[in-house]
Amino acid sequence: MASVRPVKLDINGKEKTLSLEPRVTLLDALREHLHMTGTKKGCDQGQCGACTVHVDGQRVLACLTLAVQSEGSAITTIEGLAGPDGTPHPVQQAFIEEDAFQCGYCTPGQIMSAVACIREGRAGSDDEIREFMAGNLCRCGAYPNIVSAVRKAAEATA
Amino acid sequence: MTLIEPRVKHGDASDGTTPSGPLGREIVRTDGPLKVQGAATYALEHQLEGLLHCVIVQSTVGAGRIVAVDRSAAEASPGVRLVLDAGYSLMLRSQPDFFGNKPEGDDYTPFATDIHHNGEIVAAVVADTLEQAQAAAQRVRVEVEFGPVIATHDDPRAGHGNPVPLDKDWGDPDGALAEAPVVLKATYETPREYNVPIEPHGLIAHWEADDRLTIYEPSQWVDGMANHYATWFGLPFENVRVVSPFVGGGFGSKGQALPHSAVAAIAARMLRRPVKLAVSRPQTFTAYGGRPATRQRLKLGATEEGQLLAIDHDGSNETAANAAFIETLGIVTSMMYAVPNFRSRQRIVPVNTVTPGAFRAPGKNPSAFALECAMDELAVELGLDPVELRLRNEPDVDPETGKPWSSRRLREAYAAGADAFGWTQRNPVPRSMREGRQLIGWGMACGTHPVYSSPGEAMVRILADGSVEVLSSAIDMGTGTYTILAQTAADALGVPVEQVTTKLGDSRLPRAPVAGGSQLANLMTAAVHTTALAAREELIALGLTDPNSPLRDRANTLIIADGRIAPPSGEGISIAELMAAIGRDVLEVTRDTLPRKERSSAERLKFFTTLGGMERGTSIPKSRHSFCTHFVEVRVDEDFGTIRVSRVVSALDAGRLYNPKLADSQFKGGIVMGIGMALLEEGITDPRNGRILSANLADYRIPTNADIPHIETISVGIPDYDATLLGGKAVGELAIVGVAPAIANAVFHATGKRIRRLPITLESLM
Repeated sequence: MASVRPVKLDINGKEKTLSLEPRVTLLDALREHLHMTGTKKGCDQGQCGACTVHVDGQRVLACLTLAVQSEGSAITTIEGLAGPDGTPHPVQQAFIEEDAFQCGYCTPGQIMSAVACIREGRAGSDDEIREFMAGNLCRCGAYPNIVSAVRKAAEATA
Repeated sequence: MTLIEPRVKHGDASDGTTPSGPLGREIVRTDGPLKVQGAATYALEHQLEGLLHCVIVQSTVGAGRIVAVDRSAAEASPGVRLVLDAGYSLMLRSQPDFFGNKPEGDDYTPFATDIHHNGEIVAAVVADTLEQAQAAAQRVRVEVEFGPVIATHDDPRAGHGNPVPLDKDWGDPDGALAEAPVVLKATYETPREYNVPIEPHGLIAHWEADDRLTIYEPSQWVDGMANHYATWFGLPFENVRVVSPFVGGGFGSKGQALPHSAVAAIAARMLRRPVKLAVSRPQTFTAYGGRPATRQRLKLGATEEGQLLAIDHDGSNETAANAAFIETLGIVTSMMYAVPNFRSRQRIVPVNTVTPGAFRAPGKNPSAFALECAMDELAVELGLDPVELRLRNEPDVDPETGKPWSSRRLREAYAAGADAFGWTQRNPVPRSMREGRQLIGWGMACGTHPVYSSPGEAMVRILADGSVEVLSSAIDMGTGTYTILAQTAADALGVPVEQVTTKLGDSRLPRAPVAGGSQLANLMTAAVHTTALAAREELIALGLTDPNSPLRDRANTLIIADGRIAPPSGEGISIAELMAAIGRDVLEVTRDTLPRKERSSAERLKFFTTLGGMERGTSIPKSRHSFCTHFVEVRVDEDFGTIRVSRVVSALDAGRLYNPKLADSQFKGGIVMGIGMALLEEGITDPRNGRILSANLADYRIPTNADIPHIETISVGIPDYDATLLGGKAVGELAIVGVAPAIANAVFHATGKRIRRLPITLESLM
């Protein structure tokens, strides 16, 4: 039997203390324990990218990360992306303008990946964007508009 | 080539006209801000006190009989509240599925005793936490007597299959084929394909009282699903509420309550606690059925000039061992081209699979794959350009029914698509176009989708501040329902679209039929338009007659525009000012588009909770369809056989587009899914035990961003008021139809190899 222990997580600049079994993933800690459901579960096995969050600025799959592994790291989720006054992040704004989603379920993961993709300097061309956004599946097939949105946001933030 | 000069705007799906009101404008989706913030609440994200977690246990054998289930180890596991199986559950009342399959007898249990397919639910575990339930589920021991497994229709024991009553016959196809100067015979196959919405299936079941059930579940049809639960549990329809404000993709797979849905509702009932059941991604591959594997044999007879003389079509699809599902394979074959002699037959082949289901453009999609590949083969045989061959067989009326088309702008689509693609530059000889080691292939094909229609119902509420609410149980799974219904109401009422909010996806709201068959946008815009016009009339009547109205007796009528109500000449007031003056908090109007004669409450309900209300066109004097054509470039590496789609131009006739920006996203999404169908997607089955070997998103490969090139879409549609009230035709499922054959035809042009079985992989080119 796995025992529950306190876990301290720094999420979007706020410290959260949870009682968790060590086997709880960061994704389930967010969704089931903190009720922060912006981060999505699409496959729970690292194949779809819907659960992408940033851990210390790097894009990470929350379903393949145990919550306890993330102690001491700064975690950013989709809920923490907008400015302090609620101004949408340029990537969020570009996704709306370019209609870069339909059902919206993969969207938080796409946006978290896109923010990192731009930061990594991997949004230099459409082909580069396609390649470096290829880890985030979208079944609605919004890819052409996702490429447009990432390019637009990259240009806006350059 | 006899091409008509296109009069269209290139580069997007805009129909090139500037609409006078909000409907038809390219506005961004109104639910966009919630979705990009992660603030849109999907089914499993509703927060309930005392929630427990349920995990299903699926059969690991493909056929047989359960001898015993040992629940004891699971029951003794930490946190476990309940372990269910066929011997320990509630018995429900049986309810026919979407397709009319009714379990034997009057009783129904979602837990198998006889195993019909690998992955059938045999048990379930409920625990305090997800991790506890997952761990305990692995400790359920099931003893099974193995039965013989027929895994797929490739197994010779599966046989020829059972005929289904979809015969279509006219003329003398045998005689015509015997005398035809040119005859083409070929067999085409498509594999099992899965909808795989990125939001997996699942639900939260909550009994608010002994006789009141609330279900949070992604749904393409909340009223139909509420009816399903009501029958299962013997409740009045009104006592079940299905809530589904956001749906993380469905593509046909979320239209009905499924066995796991019953499991969660039973568990919640027995424990008197809300229960969340999330189907895991691997489990989804047997929790619902995708498109069945299909096989079609086609014979085309033609003159040397390319005039079709006969089509003989024989199709079959896999179905479950214990239920019938028909993928209507002759549906495009019979209406696409003018042909004087025709026969179509269809069979279904029972195998040990979950019951297949609806997947984007059911029937239409595989039907067009076979026909459109065969037309390309015929064009090669005749030495004709494939566009020219199609133009020579373009029918003036629907060849099956003899009815005139409500609109069919396929000639315009060929012209616009070919022009934008540069089709005239094509060298027709296979392997003739290359760039270094890359063989370049250009191929084309057509698609079509019928216009279905059902009644809808809507409520429009004008509030004291002049804002407007539109309410309906219709759903939005990314299709744009929220946005276009706001546009429709704004248009009809004369208010800015920003003033309108839409509430959807709750069976407590006015009724709507299934979001399927690409019918919802047309039928719900019609319902909202009708309702909003009634609300507008009522508001004007109040303005003219209410004793406290500042506009009273100022004119014979009033005009509403930009949220202001005014006499035809002279100053007006805002709607909010009128509402304040006449002391009204709300003006509320509900209307429906039911046929006048159907008014009893039982009949009304039937229209919205069964497929009986869906009009397939028999009583409508025109033949109503959307059309499209796809022009595709592929690049095949000569050494390695890798295939990339490098360019797509599609021209589509879907009538009037209520929001061209959002319709364009639907078109592109369909094309992307078609690329997956052509080159990637295949449900692979273990022939020994019927297990789905590709039951995850790495082995069942859907397109990634890196698989998708630039896609250009061109709308050639014009408003078609013979098709629907507001002039639109089918959008959502249209664009996938014809993509796979266009790619197969391009691969032939690139390589000289004709591949008739999907997906086309580098192995198939070896």
